[in-house]
Amino acid sequence: MSTSTTVADPKSASGDSGPRPPSPRWRGADLVVRFNLVLVFLALCVVASLLAPEFLTVRNMSNLLQQSALTGIVAVGMTLVILTAGIDLSVGSVAAFGGMTVALLIDHDINFVLAIGVSLAAGALFGAVMGGLSAYLSLPAFMTTLAGLTAIRGLTYLLTDGEPAGGEIPHAFQLLGGGFVGYVPIVGLIFVAVAVAAGLLLRGTTFGEYIYAVGSNKEAARLSGLPVRGVITAVFAISGALSALAGVLLTSRLTIGQPTAFNGLELDAIAAVVLGGTNLFGGRGGVMGTFVAVLLLSVLRNLCNLMGLGSFFQMVVTGLILVVALILNMLIEKRGSRA
Amino acid sequence: MSTEGQESQKEGAVSPHDTDARPAGGDTPRLIMRGIVKRFPGTLANDGADLVVRPGEVHCLLGENGAGKSTLMKILAGSYRPDAGEILLDGEPVTLAGPQAGLAAGIAVIYQELDLVPDLTVAQNLLLGHAPSWGPVVRRKERAELARAAIARVGGNFSVHTPVRALPIAAQQLTAIARALTADARLIVMDEPSATLGESDLRTVFDVIRSLTAQGRSVIYISHRLDEVMEIGDRATVMRDGRSVAVRDLATTTADELVADMIGENRELVRTTDRPRPDGPPLLEIRSARSPGLIDIKGIEVRAGEIVGLAGLGGAGRTTLLKALFADTRATVSASVDGKDLRLRSPAAAVRAGLALVPESRKEQGLMLELSVARNAAVTALTRPPWLFPRRLGRRLAAPVITDLGVRCSSPDQPVGKLSGGNQQKVVLAKWITRGDIRVLLLDEPTRGLDVGAKADLYRQVRHLADQGVAVLLASSELSELTANADRVWVLHEGRNVACFDPRTTDENTIAHAVITGAAPTGAASAGAAPTGATSTGATSTGATSIGATPPGASS
Repeated sequence: MSTSTTVADPKSASGDSGPRPPSPRWRGADLVVRFNLVLVFLALCVVASLLAPEFLTVRNMSNLLQQSALTGIVAVGMTLVILTAGIDLSVGSVAAFGGMTVALLIDHDINFVLAIGVSLAAGALFGAVMGGLSAYLSLPAFMTTLAGLTAIRGLTYLLTDGEPAGGEIPHAFQLLGGGFVGYVPIVGLIFVAVAVAAGLLLRGTTFGEYIYAVGSNKEAARLSGLPVRGVITAVFAISGALSALAGVLLTSRLTIGQPTAFNGLELDAIAAVVLGGTNLFGGRGGVMGTFVAVLLLSVLRNLCNLMGLGSFFQMVVTGLILVVALILNMLIEKRGSRA
Repeated sequence: MSTEGQESQKEGAVSPHDTDARPAGGDTPRLIMRGIVKRFPGTLANDGADLVVRPGEVHCLLGENGAGKSTLMKILAGSYRPDAGEILLDGEPVTLAGPQAGLAAGIAVIYQELDLVPDLTVAQNLLLGHAPSWGPVVRRKERAELARAAIARVGGNFSVHTPVRALPIAAQQLTAIARALTADARLIVMDEPSATLGESDLRTVFDVIRSLTAQGRSVIYISHRLDEVMEIGDRATVMRDGRSVAVRDLATTTADELVADMIGENRELVRTTDRPRPDGPPLLEIRSARSPGLIDIKGIEVRAGEIVGLAGLGGAGRTTLLKALFADTRATVSASVDGKDLRLRSPAAAVRAGLALVPESRKEQGLMLELSVARNAAVTALTRPPWLFPRRLGRRLAAPVITDLGVRCSSPDQPVGKLSGGNQQKVVLAKWITRGDIRVLLLDEPTRGLDVGAKADLYRQVRHLADQGVAVLLASSELSELTANADRVWVLHEGRNVACFDPRTTDENTIAHAVITGAAPTGAASAGAAPTGATSTGATSTGATSIGATPPGASS
């Protein structure tokens, strides 16, 4: 006790007049609060490697990263939306639309880079329209994106009358979704890059600070002169573009566009965001939590697979883990606020 | 004033040690709280607090924020258990195990944030949880009748079938009081009922309080506004640092004595009259501000360094005027800052033009409560380049301002929601100071809910800003604050600016008269186009000018 206090002392000397350093014990608790999800994730990995020796193999790891990458990319966009106290239910439909357009465009002999650009732009446009409706007309985002979920899915089916799309897919494009650098899947690298970029956006730019301000108190942000409507429209556009990116990557891996893909993606993404500690009512959280939560959920699924448990069983376990994690989060937060 | 509840005890100031003793009058006090101690981790909220309330009296509980009033009242309501001390109701010792026990013992607490369900009707609210019924089926007729009787008892004349949301604040307050009465309360605690009420609504509530005490019920009245306390109260207990430091008979006490009791030492409030009077051309010129049915303002000017007060009753248009200037509401505004016309389409444009608004409700409109002090303080500074590293930039910009304003926080990283009201309001102000380029500061009820010390601190900062050349427009419903701090006071009445006073030469009563009636005092010159010139040169003997030929108050 006394030794740890002396450790804390030099730091407190640097802080001028007022602020008192928190007690060392509290600081430990603070660390646990901050990184509780990482701890749970590591514990789960240990359990997994004990239960299933194949878990720690390189092949399984790269498999795991590949599986979680698409949901992860979408969840990063969802994190930004939820940080502004919004929600985006349309991600699955936008992703399917993005995957279909890229397949169709490439099928029409359009350069695949341009095709990717077009489908990302379409995703961003969908997002901007839904977000803009919610920001400028004060419609609830839940409803505008629910409308989007149905309408855009329908639009996706209309593109080919419900048939899968595609044909000759260039090899370079296939690499994007199915390729590896060494043992690392390229989609995994893209996921990491997207997460890092979003993290930098949130912490390193004033736009990121706007997102927190808008999510914490929209009215106060507006009266402080922040472009609240623009911020909301922008995060939905980003979420739309990232969803379309996930769709593009899936098309690249499967070599065809599937109009039925990504059903229920929004729920997986929201689950990851909330499990990652981002407050559903905005203003608190970050991309780091979402990143770990995405990996955690897919480790869980992976573990069930390795142990030969059926997918029905997996669904039950995933649901239970979500509830337990939320309760844990709530308890830790309560304890933190009392200290 | 009317004295239904005041016929009883009159006595001089009593020292706190006498509060244990039964009053000489003989009848048992309604409530005795003796030696109440309540500890929270890190603080001693009540440290031997005493409170004696007699039957049929209005007993005011005074003290700065953090003096321990709310803790004491929560103990009385049964929400907290005291660590030591005893409570006697009508001479009987009671243990209050929970809010239900408090209610059962006849103690009703009406909190500042009214705990009514806004979407339910008055009748539903009044009998929530104990509606008359056959099994699960509510007997609506009977409920409506009970509710009507309860509303009639507090002098309300609105339908019990109205949803609470649709009622004016005063009627909501009456509903809350009526609900407290259905529980047959002997002792009613009112926590700052005036915080949300305008002057005339407050009269209604005062009438109800008087009729309650006339029935022999006791009222504990908590308020920061001393003029109200002096008017409605019979006696007052002043708390400081968790202890009761004085019990005073209000008939023989001055407001200054109460303030001295509250703050301990005689802290001097710097008055505007000590400042040199700013002159020079107007910085902010409001030629007209119009919003149909709400405001019709003409010709208000504020010089650089000048603090202009806006006085008026609730609904007189003070808030609307400030919001209109800040482009936060639909209104036709013709105004200029520094000779440049303002054409504003959003609050963001207003900020760019050098305007700053400290809004009415700091929690709902002023602050991001979950975010840290530094991030809140820096938020307005982030709408300009460089667009990178906002938190580092924020900490650097905010640190000196936070120190300057004396914001008391454990660190700049502390969430702003955990600060006291006064410190929160300082952060709202800090938000604009960090921006560094504000020309016009619009303050809307900046001291609502603040204690005496925090108010003085806040006005010191506002004056400091004015000294640096900022034009300040200050709306407040507390006239004494306006006369103490403003260089000129405009009176708004039913959406129009009817008269302008110089508080250096006009006494408060004259201004108060104009506030209530909307009529400029007799002899006031109709100065037409140049009202500010007229007052600042002291051209009229009353120090007042009026705008427009017919004062709008005269028509009603």
